[in-house]
Amino acid sequence: MLQQMKETLLALREYALERNLQAQLSLHREDSHLTRLANGSVSLNTTESVTSLSVTAYGDRRTATATLVCGLKDLDMMRQAVDRAAAMLPHASRLSFQPTLPSIPADSTCETGYDAALAQLGSAGILDYISDAAAGLEDEDLTLGGSFSVGGTAWCTLSTATPHSVSWRLSDAQITLVLASAKNKWEINAEQSAQSLDDLDPKAMRRHLAFLKEQYLTREAVRLPLGPVRVVFGAAATAEYLSYLSYLGLDGSAMKQGNSIHREEDIGQRTLSHKITVTEGPDCPGAFALPTDDFGRSRGTAAWYDKGVLRGFIWDQGAADEYAQTPTGHNLAHHSFALQPGDMAVNDLQALAAAPRDTDILYVPYLHYTGVVSPSEGLITGTSRFGALLLKKDGAIQVPYNVRFTEKLEDIFGGKLLWLSSESTVYNTSSTYGSRNPSALRVPRLMCCDQINVEISNKSY
Amino acid sequence: MTHPWKEELNKLLLQGASYADVRYTPREDSAALVMRNGNLLAFSAGGERGFGVRVLYQGAWGFAASSDLGSITATFARALDNAKSTARRLSRPIRLADKQVHTGRFTSPCLVDPAQVPYDEQVAFLRRVDTALQQTGVEQRMIFLRTQSRLTEYYDTQGAQIVKEIREIFPYLGIQGRDGDGETQSRRYSPPRLGSTRGWEIMQADFFEEQAARMVRELNETLAAPKCPSDVRSVILMPDIMYLQVHETIGHPLELDRILGYELSYAGGSFVRLSDFGALRYGTDKLTVRADATMENSPGSFGYDDDGVEAQNNLLIKDGILVGAITSRQMVTEANDKMGREYFKGSGGTARASSFRRTPLERMTNISVDPGTDGTLEDIIAKTEKGIVLSGDKSWSIGSNREQFHFANHYGYLVEDGQKKGVVRSCAYSGETLPFYNSLAMVGDERTWQVEFVPNCGKGMPSQTMQLGHGVPVCRFDNVKVGE
Repeated sequence: MLQQMKETLLALREYALERNLQAQLSLHREDSHLTRLANGSVSLNTTESVTSLSVTAYGDRRTATATLVCGLKDLDMMRQAVDRAAAMLPHASRLSFQPTLPSIPADSTCETGYDAALAQLGSAGILDYISDAAAGLEDEDLTLGGSFSVGGTAWCTLSTATPHSVSWRLSDAQITLVLASAKNKWEINAEQSAQSLDDLDPKAMRRHLAFLKEQYLTREAVRLPLGPVRVVFGAAATAEYLSYLSYLGLDGSAMKQGNSIHREEDIGQRTLSHKITVTEGPDCPGAFALPTDDFGRSRGTAAWYDKGVLRGFIWDQGAADEYAQTPTGHNLAHHSFALQPGDMAVNDLQALAAAPRDTDILYVPYLHYTGVVSPSEGLITGTSRFGALLLKKDGAIQVPYNVRFTEKLEDIFGGKLLWLSSESTVYNTSSTYGSRNPSALRVPRLMCCDQINVEISNKSY
Repeated sequence: MTHPWKEELNKLLLQGASYADVRYTPREDSAALVMRNGNLLAFSAGGERGFGVRVLYQGAWGFAASSDLGSITATFARALDNAKSTARRLSRPIRLADKQVHTGRFTSPCLVDPAQVPYDEQVAFLRRVDTALQQTGVEQRMIFLRTQSRLTEYYDTQGAQIVKEIREIFPYLGIQGRDGDGETQSRRYSPPRLGSTRGWEIMQADFFEEQAARMVRELNETLAAPKCPSDVRSVILMPDIMYLQVHETIGHPLELDRILGYELSYAGGSFVRLSDFGALRYGTDKLTVRADATMENSPGSFGYDDDGVEAQNNLLIKDGILVGAITSRQMVTEANDKMGREYFKGSGGTARASSFRRTPLERMTNISVDPGTDGTLEDIIAKTEKGIVLSGDKSWSIGSNREQFHFANHYGYLVEDGQKKGVVRSCAYSGETLPFYNSLAMVGDERTWQVEFVPNCGKGMPSQTMQLGHGVPVCRFDNVKVGE
């Protein structure tokens, strides 16, 4: 696949050079399979095979881009896309800076993250997994929902500057299974991310669902009082906050535009708890990490927050050109951030529930539909979802209705942070809105914060 | 080029399929221009073609899509295989509600196709508006223009043949500055429906310059203002936030697939139960809401949905009582079965897919609040003892069953004893959906009513972004929690 894509791009490169065009040429290919479940049935079983070309023409302080979705062999249409970018370029208004054309110094191909057995799992394999993960958990009221997205993504990019390319191929699966009560309107879930077939573990999914099911069937449901509470966030919720932190805290362009919690003078300052170390780079297992960026720069793993100290901002080439900064090797389809684990040897919900405690703890595995109330304050609002539990200080467990928090990132990862689990896990953050692009964050399995303010408390499920 | 869509559909019937349809997009052209602080950072044009096949086999759906027109037969076979695999785990075979079979064509109203406007003219327009935004107090300026032209052919095994050609144009302006505490404040503008067509003819530079001047004035008022109080008071929602309130807490919770649990794993469910239809008091008797896909000139009007059902105008809430839902052929039969009666008389014609590579889902059309009888904004203010007028959709967050919400706004000013008072910054309000609509105290008349466009409503797995509209008046709600 990658070879065919590169040959196609080399042919287009020749075509562009014949027209004295400076351009970056990229091909994306996805073969996706998504099985959706609702009310115990498969509600949709879909496959998509889509090829996308992007041509960005570069000129004197200007760029223009033409994109095309077509077949991989539609070379004539692709040449027309090159022509289109070339025709648009003179009409682009001049920028205040010179955009940098990629000049890839050597070929870089990475297929270590591709497992054909996962990418081509097929309907039978997906349904076998689902059957194992849900075995014995459903009944007349409790039915299974969810989605199993699996597939392969291939990417190849080069420019007219050199004949070298950067290419990669990844397999990935993103699985969410939901057990829902039609009668009581509650939902619990389990999620898994996979990069190879060996990562699939339906029994772990079943264990998690079974534990939560037992709690939700047997424990008292309660409405929480408004006000401060100690919260232990699960991996999904922690990943949600980390995702915001990676942008509102570390993105150089956001900082320059006033959409960051930091300013340039914060570099070298302790801005978050000393427990917070955030890295980004290729040494991030399970997070679909890429060794080389689209400019051919080899990437290393760096701590951007080091024990709470901000070490710098992330600059892709475009932002670096615009703001006269040095690019940091982040012209990528996706980043691979990791919040390093802490020292608390409590690494799953069962252990948390069994651990002694001197105050009530609200376990929040997942945050639904969060919103940025104020980017410069890092103020995020969101609602708990999917299997929250109230772990009473006397050892009892209750099932709370969902609650809303509106908290600042600098508090979540700063003064309100009590502890992080000693083990981390990967949380899949892939979106299926556009073209397939597997992404994930590595986060501690649990994160405990104090004084989280409950501002809305639902009266029912 | 002619493609064998009907032959391939007939082959599926011969192989045991009970129904199938294909959507073929021979051409989709799009463009995006992004200018930030005077720099044209994105200047892109896109082309797309492909097809998607949906097959119903023994009551189970299969779908396959491809951008490769050399793989038509293989893709149809894949869709059937996917349906056959689905049948292995199926507790309730899908039945589609009856429909009238149509042969038809729909073209959205457009005088000047944006794709035919010279690039220089488009860029010059952005530059002119950017100049208008470049004023004291403004630290960041953003202008975004997205256009789209899609031709879709629809065929199904029942004999329908529908061609749709829909053109969209979505301009957007945004500015930011820093207040005295160093926090970012912003003001944005996306035009509502501006007439009976929506092509390049709506891009009147004078009009956008006027909007730019208003945005700059309001931003500077906000930058100098004290913080919004945190208390309980009446909120008067302008159409540019009322539309989002309706979108998130009436539109989404009344999608029948959500109510039936089809979105639980991702987008969420709904607090509405099937037993609520015809009985639930959603709001005060001032609240009447409809799903009107026949409205003139809106992205939520499309002629025929992607089930091939003709667009309709259906009541959702009548005088405060829940009476209808956003429905498709599949969901109404399931809902009626579960209700034990034929409450839904047929598809509401709202099955829409965002592209050839996605399957149709229940999507909003134009979910609109009927205008009321409480006059103008000034009339409403005059009758408000302690309130705040809120404008702009700065942020939004909604509970998973749409039972509660938190919205932040760009611009607001206080109202006391029927008088406008000072502007405040960092405005936000929150509440619970049913108590909120049951506190609806005043609904502005036709003079306050306008159709807001939504270019980016997200839903589904695989995820889809859809365009739609909301006709909304100025509304006042009492006893609402205000403040971040």
